[in-house]
Amino acid sequence: MSAAAPCKLKASDYKSGTRPVWCPGCGDFHILASLTKAVAALALAPENIAVVSGIGCSSRIPAYLNCYGFHGVHGRALPMATGLKVARPDLTVICAGGDGDGFSIGGNHFLHACRRNVDITYVVMDNEIYGMTKGQPSPTTAPDWDTELAPGGTGVSPFHPLVIALASGANFVARAFSGDVKGTTKILAEAISHPGFSFVQILSPCVTYRPDQREWKNKVHPPPVSFTTDAAQAARRVMTDDGFNIGILYKGSRDKYGQAVERSGDFERDLHEEFLV
Amino acid sequence: MSKTGKNFTPAELLVHALAIELEAVQSYKELAEQMEQCANTDVAGLFDKMAKLEAEHAEKIRDTAGNMELPELAPWDFRWSGLEPPENIDIASVHYLMTPHQALTLALENELSAMAFFDAVAHDSTDDQVGLLAQEFAADERQHVAWMKDWLAKYPPPDDDWDYDPDPPAALD
Repeated sequence: MSAAAPCKLKASDYKSGTRPVWCPGCGDFHILASLTKAVAALALAPENIAVVSGIGCSSRIPAYLNCYGFHGVHGRALPMATGLKVARPDLTVICAGGDGDGFSIGGNHFLHACRRNVDITYVVMDNEIYGMTKGQPSPTTAPDWDTELAPGGTGVSPFHPLVIALASGANFVARAFSGDVKGTTKILAEAISHPGFSFVQILSPCVTYRPDQREWKNKVHPPPVSFTTDAAQAARRVMTDDGFNIGILYKGSRDKYGQAVERSGDFERDLHEEFLV
Repeated sequence: MSKTGKNFTPAELLVHALAIELEAVQSYKELAEQMEQCANTDVAGLFDKMAKLEAEHAEKIRDTAGNMELPELAPWDFRWSGLEPPENIDIASVHYLMTPHQALTLALENELSAMAFFDAVAHDSTDDQVGLLAQEFAADERQHVAWMKDWLAKYPPPDDDWDYDPDPPAALD
């Protein structure tokens, strides 16, 4: 991305008047800022954006945005977003939520959303915890995170969302850090612009239940190499990194869902259009 | 547009200076709202005052820019020294029970960062107009630093148990 699109609206115009109820210090504030800056930079009209979420602290984000929004059922944001995009391909559909919502309750949907490659952007605000329900370990929690709720840690290997996204067929895969608003804004703008299913994991500290995550700002760093278009190479890189490389990891060129129909004959196109809402 | 370092054109420097203040206004306003939600009214009031102070500074920069046509930069094309514009509070440093002294300490750090940013531009620039503008902005920030220090002196440092909450958010006891 080299130049700014002509901005008709400011980032603040994409924020609703509803005040976020996130805890002061929560990384999700920065993600809200990055997302509004990204859509403003892309000059997307608010009436052409839909943000779909599940349940959790981060899933409150549609309420704080001045665009269409759907605060849905726990773990089911991706099926909703997929259905919406297939029915209304003219909309920019962004799906948002947390690591528990997306990788545990909605884990199955995550795999198949990557596989289907519908042209949506999935933003997971990962704080490695269930924050809204007061601090239980989530699928991305380290196995030795010792708390009163999980004495001695869970002992269970964490879910590796980036590798799973790559293995399942996501067309754009990136990791960002909420405190890096400028970098996250750029990654989100690229993810939204990239055809097919784009997955962005954003490390977002939960300062209430994981105050140790305040240190993430000192741990994140740019990746040593640029993104690749080879999914296997991307997977090898991310499997061996320290978990704090931020940046775009992979950009694929797989046809997005429906592209084959678009290229085929009139009959199929007519049939497809007939069922559009 | 220059691509690296602090070789700004006058218009680019003005865009950066304006963005620093406008982002700070937004950031302080949001922090004031967050503190108000947590019933920390003293700190909410301080952040609100900081937002007003930065808004006045933004107006001053607009006046300096006058009729000059300012370039439109994408958010990722701004050249900050750190991850964020220098006057944005690091949100991870914020706590719902923070004291006015802690809030003003963060605000002071911001003013110092902004001063350092403009001092660096003034030092590095080879353009006389940019150098003069950067010196002017650095002087403004220096004045803000002095204000912050005076303000800070009025509030005692926090007690050791400043973050004690008799009804903490964690339900793990």
